[in-house]
Amino acid sequence: MIKSDELAQVIIGCKNGDAGCFSQIVDMYASRCYGYFYRLTSNKDTSDELLSILFAKLVEKINTYRGGSFESWLFTISSNVFHDHLRSKQRYTKLLGERQSHLESEITEFKMSDGDTIDKLQIQLSRLDDETRELIMMRFYSELSFKEIAKMRSEPIGTTLSKLHRGLKKLRELMER
Amino acid sequence: MVNKNQDNLKELFEKFLSAEQAAKAIEDVQKAEQILDENPTPEPDDMLIANIKAEIALHLLPHKTVTFKHIVYKAMAIAAAIIVVVSISLDLFQNDRSPNKPDVLVTASIIPRAIWESNDIASDDTKLVIFTTEAEQISDEFSNLRSGRSESNINDAITELEMELIEIKGDFWKG
Repeated sequence: MIKSDELAQVIIGCKNGDAGCFSQIVDMYASRCYGYFYRLTSNKDTSDELLSILFAKLVEKINTYRGGSFESWLFTISSNVFHDHLRSKQRYTKLLGERQSHLESEITEFKMSDGDTIDKLQIQLSRLDDETRELIMMRFYSELSFKEIAKMRSEPIGTTLSKLHRGLKKLRELMER
Repeated sequence: MVNKNQDNLKELFEKFLSAEQAAKAIEDVQKAEQILDENPTPEPDDMLIANIKAEIALHLLPHKTVTFKHIVYKAMAIAAAIIVVVSISLDLFQNDRSPNKPDVLVTASIIPRAIWESNDIASDDTKLVIFTTEAEQISDEFSNLRSGRSESNINDAITELEMELIEIKGDFWKG
């Protein structure tokens, strides 16, 4: 794992418009961010698209990063990118119920749009509500502490802890069935 | 990836739960996170990563071009300023070197140099009268030709006009 002072140097390079430093950031975080999008969308093509959007936003917004946890900043953008995607998707499906039924029909097919099979974890994750699923994925892929996640979500740490515990417990039960 | 978040789960849960409940909650969290570890997602394609990097490089390119343009514009402005300053300085320098020298007016004159530079006023006056008269005569003939009022043949008139011009030119350049 990259040291924080090395990361700081890379970020300074990014702020100076160094494409090489941006490439390093892509290499460091693409896998985790992709996993985050993939677990939330269950779709490889959509994850590809969201990852591209994320790094385009990163280039646009890098000068707004004012220190602190870079992961927290990056995954806040990732979360915004995902929510923008949801909003645009909802414009097409109109109703949340339609979206859920569409998602369920996708799951029963056990197939991805590009022909990849969905793993058991993906199926069980889809049985969790949107907020819990996102919270679990944020915790897992961002590697942020409960305190940082609570701060990011602007809620008390007890609330975050409780939601995550309930979500992870349910996921565990679903997976052990 | 378990414990990567560097949380002290025991301390954290015991703030809100009893020791027994906290232990159970920690077990739930750790087991679930272990499941997530054991089910990795696919990695992004190398092609996707290459495309993202290429897009970033393209996005950064205009910024550098603008910077380059600014440098060129600045250099051009400075060069223009230097040229103006040097021109003015040279002009002032030359004026300083010959303060009493009158300006030389370079013009094209219709009066022959022999008359212009001659000191023989009486002779030059006569020549000037002849020159003026002949010039007026030529001018009249030319006007007649243009208006079609000339009675003579046009070709003959032009030839005659040319001969007169040659004669005038010869006379006056001789002085």
